[in-house]
Amino acid sequence: MNAATEITQAQLTGRHQADETAPVRIAVKDLNFYYGNFHGLKSVNLNFHDRQVTALIGPSGCGKSTLLRTFNRIYSLYPEQRAEGEIMLDGRNILDPRIDLNELRSKIGMVFQKPTPFPMSIYDNVAFGLRLYERLSKADLDVRVEESLRKAALWDEAKDKLKQSGMGLSGGQQQRLCIARTVAQRPEVILFDEPTSALDPISTGRIEELIEQLRSEFTIVIVTHNMQQAARISQFTAFMYLGELVEFGPTTRIFMNPEKRQTQDYITGRFG
Amino acid sequence: MAALTEQIALTGAASGSPARKTPGGIGDQLFRLAAYASAILVLLFLAGILASIAYGGWPAFREFGFGFLTSSAWNIGQEQYGAFVAIMGTLASAALALVIGVPISLGIAVYLTQLCPGWARKPVAMTIELLASVPSIIYGMWGLFIFAPLFARFVQVPVSNVVEGLPIVGTLLYARVPSGVGVLTAGIILAIMIVPFVASITRDMLDQIPTVLRESAYGIGCTTWEVVRHVLVPQASVSIIGAIMLGLGRALGETMAVTFVIGNANRLSASIFDPGSTIASRIANEFNEADGMQLHALMALGCILFIVTFIVLIIARLLVRRVKVA
Repeated sequence: MNAATEITQAQLTGRHQADETAPVRIAVKDLNFYYGNFHGLKSVNLNFHDRQVTALIGPSGCGKSTLLRTFNRIYSLYPEQRAEGEIMLDGRNILDPRIDLNELRSKIGMVFQKPTPFPMSIYDNVAFGLRLYERLSKADLDVRVEESLRKAALWDEAKDKLKQSGMGLSGGQQQRLCIARTVAQRPEVILFDEPTSALDPISTGRIEELIEQLRSEFTIVIVTHNMQQAARISQFTAFMYLGELVEFGPTTRIFMNPEKRQTQDYITGRFG
Repeated sequence: MAALTEQIALTGAASGSPARKTPGGIGDQLFRLAAYASAILVLLFLAGILASIAYGGWPAFREFGFGFLTSSAWNIGQEQYGAFVAIMGTLASAALALVIGVPISLGIAVYLTQLCPGWARKPVAMTIELLASVPSIIYGMWGLFIFAPLFARFVQVPVSNVVEGLPIVGTLLYARVPSGVGVLTAGIILAIMIVPFVASITRDMLDQIPTVLRESAYGIGCTTWEVVRHVLVPQASVSIIGAIMLGLGRALGETMAVTFVIGNANRLSASIFDPGSTIASRIANEFNEADGMQLHALMALGCILFIVTFIVLIIARLLVRRVKVA
């Protein structure tokens, strides 16, 4: 009970309220997912609202990362994994085999558990994705790189060493570099898969602030192990358990008045 | 506590001493000494080999001076010896082996780690490793009796006919005597020999790249080619250079297979179709009957091969360091 009280008072007050009237950006209908014979997601139905942060929470192995990984179909790198059902984005089912995967992935950005700077300079890390899909002049590219680094709150630290390797940055800076790289492509949706799990508390705080700022432009889905984090940064929360969506709603309600017993137990720290 | 004491007592009894003495006892000292000795022994061997070869080659160096490196003479009757042809042959055949072998190795490694369906990975990887276990004499024999005649008929003759009279390629790719043996043939055979090494090390390195890095490259919309070209290979570049250097080391020193197919001519030719010789093949060919100044000259050649290999390693290290810093 202690944990729930703490979350309620410290984090939920003064936070941006969920906008339930925001248009639906991603609509998941009857989504089933299989790892070979293992049934990883069971008939998930869920809507993600435009320019809102939706947190996916639940114990390890509950399918939250699996769900996230269907939105850019990154799972299809592994032939034994498959998804059935519908995920509508802009009126198109992204599970349709005819979808151009590379184009889809340029529109749905993803940030991973660990920072993944590419083995190239800071500038090139950000410009890399841009060069894949847009023909930009050097001057335009410079503008976009700066804009993206500013949005990722990395510009001030990186502006004097754009030519240096991205590997030389600290962990938190590397993660912001990855966010800049994602933002640069001007995606519609950004997926965060436990983006702070490898970071120290200060870097974590900066990433959380950043996510809050990015919300004005992007629809954000974040998988997190940390319930306080979900409470701090999200407007909507989905609780998953054993491959099923147990409960979904505005974060305030999920944390203060969960409807389901399992949700209550999880957020109060009784299991998970 | 009692059990622990008992165990110590038992161990002591087993090793024949009444109880455990203070650390740094005689056994420990002996062990340390033995370890040191083993390490120093290797250095002594290396220094000994280098010194004895240098000693053996010294008369040749003294007789011909610096000219030994730049002279292309190798005249047993007149006792005139120079290493230039053999050095060039060694470098040229090794360079050709890399030019041919490295792209193939990278292709194999990328195929195995990124594209190959799960069930085919093991058999393909096994075949590559089997290739590494073929003795070099087999490559030499196969190269001379089977590959060289086919190479002469289907490559040397047609290519020579096409390029004859053309500038540059007309020299580079013209076979005066299309016998099949030559520097390029040696390069090709060497390439086949280094592919398994370079490919399997590169494959291991690509396999060790964290999954999230690969996924994040695909995640921004890269095609497989872009992921491999811009992310995976640069990420593993240090190790890949290491693998290539290992291949180069093998190509420089490989003796048997090269001796069979390079033609063993002491003639400097601008055409890679023409026969030549490498340091190793020259030594292998002549050592049996050599004495006097010829033996000294061969020793001197061996010394040069030693040094060339050493220089290659140093350059490799510098390269590797530069990649790391960048």
